[in-house]
Amino acid sequence: MPSLLGNIFDIWSDYLKGNEQGGHHKYEHMYSMVIDLDKCTGCNACSTACYAENNLAWVGEEKFGARQAMNWLRIERYFDEPDMDAAGDGHGMEQAAATQSDTQDRGASFLPMMCQQCNAAPCEPVCPVAATYHTVDGLNAQVYNRCIGSRYCANNCPFRVRNFNFYDNAPTAWPAPMDQGLNPDISVRSKGVMEKCTFCIQRTRAARDTAKREGREIRDGEIQTACQQTCPTSAILFGDLLDETSKIAQVWKRQQMKLGVYKQDKANPELRGYRIFEELNVDPKVLYLERVREV
Amino acid sequence: MSKTKIDRRNFLKVLGLGGAGAALAGCDMPSYVTSEEGVEKVYSYLAPEEYVIPGIGVWYASTCTQCPAACGVHGRVREGRVLKLEGNPDTAANAGKLCQMGQAAIQTHFHPERITQPTIGGKPATWDEALALINKKAGNASWVTGTVSGHQRVLMDAHLGTGTGRHYAIEVVNSRPWEDASAATLGDARPNLHIDKARAVLTIGADVLGTWGNPVKSMRDYGNFRDAPRGVLMAVEAAMSLTGANADHWIAARPGSEAAVTLGLGHVLMTKHGISPAGMPSAALAFKNMTPARVHELSGVSEAQLDKIADTLMANSPSLIIANASHAAAKTAQVLNLMLGNVGQTLTPGAALAAGGLAPVTGSSKDLVEFAMNAKAGKVSAAFITGTNPAFLAPASLDMARALDKVGFKVAIASFVDETTQSCDVVLPLSSALEDWGTHVPAFGGNPGDVHVQQPLMERVHADTRGLGDIVLGLAKEAGVDGLGDFEDYYGYLRTAVSAMIDSDLEGDWNRVLQAGQATSKSAPTAFTTGGDVALGYSEAVKSGGLSLITAARQGIYDGRHANLPWMQEAPDQISKAVWDSWAEINPKTAAGLGVKDGDYVTLSTAGGTVTTRVFTYKGVHPDAVCVPMGRGHTNYGQYADNGVNPLSILNAPSGDMTASEIIGSATPVTLSATGDNRHLIRLMDIDSQHGRKLVATIPATQFDRNQGGA
Repeated sequence: MPSLLGNIFDIWSDYLKGNEQGGHHKYEHMYSMVIDLDKCTGCNACSTACYAENNLAWVGEEKFGARQAMNWLRIERYFDEPDMDAAGDGHGMEQAAATQSDTQDRGASFLPMMCQQCNAAPCEPVCPVAATYHTVDGLNAQVYNRCIGSRYCANNCPFRVRNFNFYDNAPTAWPAPMDQGLNPDISVRSKGVMEKCTFCIQRTRAARDTAKREGREIRDGEIQTACQQTCPTSAILFGDLLDETSKIAQVWKRQQMKLGVYKQDKANPELRGYRIFEELNVDPKVLYLERVREV
Repeated sequence: MSKTKIDRRNFLKVLGLGGAGAALAGCDMPSYVTSEEGVEKVYSYLAPEEYVIPGIGVWYASTCTQCPAACGVHGRVREGRVLKLEGNPDTAANAGKLCQMGQAAIQTHFHPERITQPTIGGKPATWDEALALINKKAGNASWVTGTVSGHQRVLMDAHLGTGTGRHYAIEVVNSRPWEDASAATLGDARPNLHIDKARAVLTIGADVLGTWGNPVKSMRDYGNFRDAPRGVLMAVEAAMSLTGANADHWIAARPGSEAAVTLGLGHVLMTKHGISPAGMPSAALAFKNMTPARVHELSGVSEAQLDKIADTLMANSPSLIIANASHAAAKTAQVLNLMLGNVGQTLTPGAALAAGGLAPVTGSSKDLVEFAMNAKAGKVSAAFITGTNPAFLAPASLDMARALDKVGFKVAIASFVDETTQSCDVVLPLSSALEDWGTHVPAFGGNPGDVHVQQPLMERVHADTRGLGDIVLGLAKEAGVDGLGDFEDYYGYLRTAVSAMIDSDLEGDWNRVLQAGQATSKSAPTAFTTGGDVALGYSEAVKSGGLSLITAARQGIYDGRHANLPWMQEAPDQISKAVWDSWAEINPKTAAGLGVKDGDYVTLSTAGGTVTTRVFTYKGVHPDAVCVPMGRGHTNYGQYADNGVNPLSILNAPSGDMTASEIIGSATPVTLSATGDNRHLIRLMDIDSQHGRKLVATIPATQFDRNQGGA
């Protein structure tokens, strides 16, 4: 009989398995993303597409300043390049300040950051009500109806990609007739609920239903997340890692990147693939490709 | 039958086919059929309209009008409502992609502050009353618009042809210096750009990835440009743009000195690399005189930096130089493109539409200045204003308030109340772009002959609004334009015109056009005419020492037209990451000299006035420049736009002929004084450093090349 305690134990054992053995074993699909930071221009098209697709509430200046924005996908911007630092000791900024000219020599560094859909997601085992768990699609899901707003999950997320509804944002975010533009495929979240990037689960579900109706498997490239779809430079790739013929599985392979490890052991360490905070052993499923600059 | 006499020549003209020689097969006017038929009867939803399947979203093609680029879109329609826009994969101008402004078109469409009914003198009125007044008082009216193209332009031209008014196309964010320079040097104002084919791209005051030309097309090409063999991007500008923020080499130049830097680059290419502008003795002389020492004096750009740019351009051929900082810089850049052999490779001839009347009239700030001058001189008796906001965009020195006051009769055709509509005698409520018919010819990035078709994606949200085409058609008919009498509405006109353009009036062909979101007009490739000598210049006015105010357009708020969209206000600025307010970008060295720090309020004083905003320090701005991005500081643009300051208002008075620089390219002497107040600037993130963590890892290009780019 499914019970709350049963759910929690399931999540714990999945988490342990993910942590110790690398990845889950119940996946039917394992959706993943590859983001080429050399192509990302930091233009915001993806994050705005996310607002439109996923019914994200805008919150205004004051709440934004209180870190209560609902942006599932944000573009971080940095001006230093620790890796390009000549000394290589990881203190690029301090060194740069001392030695560089008065102005930037290169542009900025942009980082699209959204839920990394960790296989060993640290947000999951801390939820007291099992509101966040792993789906058979390999996604870290949030059950809005279960969520009681303890915010433990957000505290435990090293990427800070969980957004909590501190307020009932809907009345201000969608004054009539703006509410007519809401996406009916997903809910509008209310006060006291945690939310996060779902890799556009409504699109995944729609594709799954279509494929089932037509009696076939989901085709590679059939599902496009909203951010991927609109990205003007095509910096974002999305797909199923369990499908070995998929484009994304091939990128992971070409980059000699492995899941389930906290340190990659590449035959060619110069390849551009890396995962952020991989050393925390959370096993993120978003693969970034290093930014490239002339020196 | 029509009440006016139609002859074939005039008929073709009003359909935008002048000179096309297209054969018209049959002239029966299709009637207007919409889902509004049967609207007086209430049907149970058990029997929905045949095209509505509950729960199923259907994608229809249309055209985005959020900026002048005119990208093709697909809109997702479910239960009769449009919910999401995506790029149309079949339109070459954007190939399936869309920028954040396009994504936010949904918010413009469903905006709670849309104008829902006509007003006369600020008081609600009916369409009949408003149109009666217009017909009485708007004789010889001018059109004041943004960039327009397609059949809306044809009808505006036809309407103008009945009087003495003229067309003012106003865009302060524009590509005019580039277009003028290209026309002068290549004989083609809008050559095709091939960023993807270039091995090195140098931008000089042109935010190619952000707001210049068609940024979606440029970004798409940029994505390919970064594939192996990887192209090198360089940017010369006074304050970092989105393009500069993606550059391999970013070179800060003193505001207004961009032309001198471009000339200096020519000097280095001539003296160190032995290439010279063939058959252009005056250009060669200008290059010769602009020594690196002189460049450094004027711009602060060192000889080593010039060498680096020149070496990179020489080592990575073909390259492409795109300049928009000033007319002089753009002209010099085109001469450099000729010298480097880029013309014909990364710059190829565009195409001229056979139906020339459809071609885009690209806006400029020259028209803004001329409108102000002519209006103040009492030469504008009446004006229709749509798609632009001159009262907000004009520097204070132009005294736009007085200019508008002097226009005898003003009609705003607008979706939102703004600084301009509030001074208009009549305001006509405009349908949103997602409720309207139209055709648009992309000025940049389209294939030859591309005409993007805009069709309504849903019923009007506000029943009493009307489409731009319908309004212009009505005005043109009333003014007695030949050949329009039989068209009941703009749809009927557009369908006939497009059918004539594609030489078919078959139902199926029209449906295919709507499905594709585009039609192809006949066009002829243009040819470059090069070889003539070109006089090149630069501005002597720039000197070290004083501070100059510049402004910048950022994708998002743009020129201020999207400041009323919460999504755009809350999308962090790409560079400062600030939201919901303005800021002044100042170099840390300059800030230290002035004794101000992040979050300090400073008052910026120019000859044109003052604005007070907060300081944001970073190294992406020249020490002699203060950059305040434009678009905020509205005084009457709704509750969401009520923040920030408007730097455009205090910029220099533009010179009369506007051949030196556009308004936003002009460096305006400014002094700063701290008010003593400080408040934290709200930003997405308060750190600019990765603190040694591997968040965005960067590798040198040599490593990328060793691995053939990997993935």
